[in-house]
Amino acid sequence: MLVFIQTIASGILIGGVYALIGLGMTLIMGVMGIINLAHGQLMMVAMYITFVLFTHLGLDPYICIFITMPSLFLLGIVIQKYLLNPLIKVESILPENQVLMTVGIGMVLTEIARFIFTSNYVSIKTPYAAKAIFLKNISLNLPMCIAFLIAVFFTLLLFWFLLKTDTGRAIRATAQDKEAALLMGINTPRITYLTFGIGSALVALAGTILLPIYYLFPDIGGPFTLKAFVITILGGLGSTIGAIVGGVILGIAESLGATYVAMGYREAIGFVIFVLVLIFLPGGLKSITKV
Amino acid sequence: MKSVKIILLAIFFVIFPLIVRSDYYLHLMIIAFMWVTIGTAWNLLAGYTGQVSFGHAIFFGTGAYTAGLLASKLYISAWWGMLLGGPCAMLIAAFVGWVCFRLRGPYFALATLAGGEIIRLVAVNWESLTKGMVGILLMPSFKSKLPYYYIALGIAILAMLKVHLLMRSKYGYWFLAIREDQDAAEAMGINTTLYKNISLLVSAFFTGTAGAFYTNYMGFIDPSVVFSLHYISIMTILVVIVGGVATRFGPAIGAFIMVGVQELFRSSIFGLAPKWVSQAHALVFGIIVVFVIMFMANGVVGDWHKISRVFKRAR
Amino acid sequence: MGKRLCVVGLSLCLFFLPFIAIGAEPIKVGIVLPLTGDQAKFGEIEKQSFDLAFEEINNAGGVNGRPIQALIEDDTGRPEVGRSVVEKLITKDKVVMVGGGYSSSVTYAVAGVCQQNQIPFLINTGSADEITAQGWDYVFRLNQPASEYASGMESLLTEVVKPKSVAILHENSLFGTSSAKSFEATAKKLNIEVVMKEGYEHGGIDFKPVLIKVKDKNPDLLYMVSYVMDAALLMKQSMELKLTPKLFVGGAAGFTLPEFVQNAGKASEKVISATLWHQVLPYPGAKEYYEKFVKKYNKDTEYHGAQAYAAAYVIADVLKRAKSLKPADIKEALSQTNMMTVFGPVRFISYGKMINQNKLPTYVVQWIDGKLELVWPKDLATKPLVYPVNWLKEWGYQ
Repeated sequence: MLVFIQTIASGILIGGVYALIGLGMTLIMGVMGIINLAHGQLMMVAMYITFVLFTHLGLDPYICIFITMPSLFLLGIVIQKYLLNPLIKVESILPENQVLMTVGIGMVLTEIARFIFTSNYVSIKTPYAAKAIFLKNISLNLPMCIAFLIAVFFTLLLFWFLLKTDTGRAIRATAQDKEAALLMGINTPRITYLTFGIGSALVALAGTILLPIYYLFPDIGGPFTLKAFVITILGGLGSTIGAIVGGVILGIAESLGATYVAMGYREAIGFVIFVLVLIFLPGGLKSITKV
Repeated sequence: MKSVKIILLAIFFVIFPLIVRSDYYLHLMIIAFMWVTIGTAWNLLAGYTGQVSFGHAIFFGTGAYTAGLLASKLYISAWWGMLLGGPCAMLIAAFVGWVCFRLRGPYFALATLAGGEIIRLVAVNWESLTKGMVGILLMPSFKSKLPYYYIALGIAILAMLKVHLLMRSKYGYWFLAIREDQDAAEAMGINTTLYKNISLLVSAFFTGTAGAFYTNYMGFIDPSVVFSLHYISIMTILVVIVGGVATRFGPAIGAFIMVGVQELFRSSIFGLAPKWVSQAHALVFGIIVVFVIMFMANGVVGDWHKISRVFKRAR
Repeated sequence: MGKRLCVVGLSLCLFFLPFIAIGAEPIKVGIVLPLTGDQAKFGEIEKQSFDLAFEEINNAGGVNGRPIQALIEDDTGRPEVGRSVVEKLITKDKVVMVGGGYSSSVTYAVAGVCQQNQIPFLINTGSADEITAQGWDYVFRLNQPASEYASGMESLLTEVVKPKSVAILHENSLFGTSSAKSFEATAKKLNIEVVMKEGYEHGGIDFKPVLIKVKDKNPDLLYMVSYVMDAALLMKQSMELKLTPKLFVGGAAGFTLPEFVQNAGKASEKVISATLWHQVLPYPGAKEYYEKFVKKYNKDTEYHGAQAYAAAYVIADVLKRAKSLKPADIKEALSQTNMMTVFGPVRFISYGKMINQNKLPTYVVQWIDGKLELVWPKDLATKPLVYPVNWLKEWGYQ
C-alpha cells in the first residue's frame, strides 16, 4: 500500500513540472495553431542561463526566474516575429512548413548550446535540492513540491489573465478566429508575438525550477517537447486547467507504469496515452469539461 | 530533367565504382543511395499525398529488424530479409494507417512521431525478441563494397521508377487530389482512405527494404540506430525538404546534399579544417533547414528558378 | 683536399638521405574513440592518455627508430559511425592496427569490421563479454570484461557483508544489460537471492517508482550499473526515500568518477563500487602516470585513462616484436604479449567462451569523506572499509 501511495505522490509532483512545460505549449498551440517542436530547446536555453548565473554569480535558481522568464519572453517574440510569422506568406506545397521550421530552430539552439558548453552533463548543487519532506512515511522531494505549487499558481494566474484582462481576451479571440479578431481591431500579429513570448517564458520557468532536481545537457530538450505534446493533447488545446490536469495525469501514469509494469517502458506510456487520446478523445479533456 | 540527361547520369553511377576505387567514397555513395530510396518513399506519402509522416523510422526499423532477426534467430541469411523487409514493413504500415489516418495534418504527423517512439521503446525493452540494446551483429557477406553499391543503386532506381510510374497513372491524380483538399476529393467520390493507405503501403515497402539493406550492409543494428527519431525520421524529412518536396528528383538531390554535408563536416572538410569544425555539422544542418524553409520552401529542385536567378544576378 | 672531402662528405650524406627519410617514416595506428557526443568526456581522457604515452614512446625512439603516428578518429558514440571511421582508417589511411574502443556497442561493431578485414584490434575499454566471445582471432582485449567487474567484490561479500538478497538496477544499453546479467549469475553462485532486476532508460528524472519497489522488497544489497548522472540521481533519490539496504554497490562506470561525488554530494558518501584500477596499485608506473597526467592536463584521470595509456605501450611493444608490419605478423606478436603496464600485467589467453582476453583482478573502492579510497583487497587498501554503515546518520536524518 505504501508503495502505491508513494508512487502516486511522486507522480503528482513530477506532474506539476510537466504541467508547467505543457502550459506554454498549450497556449501556443491553442492560440496560434503552431506546433512548436523547439519547445524543449527553449527550456534548455533557460536552463543554461540559470546554470551560468548560478555558477558565476551564485544566484539561486528561484531568483534566476526573474531573469530567465523575461529573456525567454524576448527570445520567443524574436522567433515568432522573424522566423515563424513570415512563413505564413511563403507559398509552399506542404502546410507543415512551420513545424519543420521549429525543428530547424530547435536544432540550431541545441547545437549552439553544444558548441558553447560541450555535450557534458552539468548540474548545480543547491542545499535544498535533495531535501525531502515526510508525511507519515511518504517522502516528498522539497524542490518538486515548490515546483508543483508554482505550477498551480501560474496556471491560475494564466487562467485569470486569459479570462479577465483585455489582452487575455484578445488572445482568446485570435485563437477562435484570427480574421474576425483582425476585423474587430485586434492587432493580431502583435498578439501572436505576445503569445509565443508568454509560452516561452512559461517553459523558461519550468526549466529554471527543474535544474536543481535534474541535470543539464544540450539534448535535454527533445523528450520534454514530446511530453509537452502529450499534455497539450490530453488537456485540450488552449486549456490552462487542462494542462495542469494533463500534466498530473501523465506524471501519475508514468509513475504507476514504472512501478508496476517496468521502468524501461516509462517513456512509452506517455506516447500510448497520446495516441489513444488523439484517436478517442480528440478534443482532449477540454471537450469534456468545457474549460 | 530530359531523358538524355537521366540516362547519362545513370551510366555515370553505374561506372562510378570502376573509376573511383576508394572504399571510403563508395561507402558515402551507398549511404546516399539508401537515403534516396527512403526520401523518395517518404515523398510519395508526404509530398504527393500530403500525409506528413514524422515516423518513417517505424518502417525502416521494421525492415532492418526483419533481416536482423531472421539471421540471428532463425539463422537464415539476412539476404532473405531484403525480400521480406519490405512486406513486413507493409504489415506494420497497415496497422499504422488504420490508427493514424483518422487524423489530419499536424495531428497525423504527431501520431506517427509517437508511433515511432513507441516501437523504439518496445524494441529496447522486449529483449527476448530483439536483444534490446545489445543489438544484432552480423558479418556482412561480401568484403568488397561493389555488390552493396549496385544493390543500393538498384533499390534506389526501383523506388524512383515506381513512384514516377504511380504518379503518372491515375493513382497520381488520386494522391494529388487528396493532398490538395481531402474533403473535396471525398466529395467527388474518391475513396480517400483506400488511396492514402496505398500510398502509405508503397512508401513503407521501399523504406522497409532500405532498412533490410542497412542490416545487411552495416552488419550492426540496435533500436537507437534504426528506430531513431532524430537520425532516421527527421533526417528523412530534411532530405526531402532540402531537395524539393513533391518533385521527382528532389529527394535524390537532397540525399546527396545531406550526406555530403554531414561527412564534409564530420571529417572537418576531409581533415583540412580545424577539429572543432567536425562538431558543427549538426549546427549546419539546422541552419540549412531554417534557411531552406524560409527562402526555398520547395527545395533545391522546386525553387531552382529562385536559385538560378541569384546566380544570374551575381554575374 | 678540403674541397674533395666536402664533396665526398656531401655525396655520402645525399646517398644516405633517402634511407634516413625511410627510417623516420611513421607507423600508422588507428584509434577509435568518442570525441564528441555524450561520452566525449571519457573519449577525451583516453585521447589525452594516448597522446601522453605515444609522446613518451616516440621520444624514446619509437619502434625501431620509427615514430608511431596515432590517427585518432571520432566515433561520436554511435556504432554506425564507428564502423565507418574504422573502415576509413583501414582502407584509406592503411593503418597497421586499430586501438581504442570505449562504448561496448561501438566496440562490438568496430571489432566486427576489423575481424572481417583481418586487421588486429586491441580493445582497451569496451567491456561487454560478447565482444571477445565470437571467436574473432584478430580481436584482443586488454581490459576486464563486464562480467568480471564485480569479481574483486566477491570475497568482500562472502567474508564481510554476507548479504542474503540483492536488487539490481541497470541502464539498458549493452554495458548495463551485460553487467547486470553477469552480476545476477555471480549472485546466484554466491547464494544471494536476486529479488529484483530492472533496466531503465538512461536520462530519467524520477527513479522513485523503481526505488520504492526496491525499498518494499528490502534487499541487503542494491547493485547499480549506471553512467554518472543516473548514478548521482539514484543515490540522491534513495536518500530522499530513506532507502537503506546494508550496502549500496556500484558496478564501476558512473560510480567511480569525480562527477559522482560532485553531483550526489553527501548521498555518495560510503557508497562502494567495483573498479578496474586505482593509482595506488603496485603496478610500476601507475602512480607516476597519474601524476604526469594531472600535471600536464590539470585534471584527474581514472581507470579509462590508465587503460588507454597501457594500451599505447602494448601497441608499441607489439610493433617492436612483430616480424613485419603485415597484419598476420602483428596478430602473432599480439598473441605472444607478456608484459607489465600501468594497468597491470598483459597476457592474452582464452578462458570460458572468450579468446584473446587479458585476465586481471578487479578491486573495490569506497567514497570516504568525499574521496575515492581503495578498500579491498585489504592488503592494498588505502583506508579500511567502512561497514556496516548507518545511512540515516550519514544523510543527516539522525
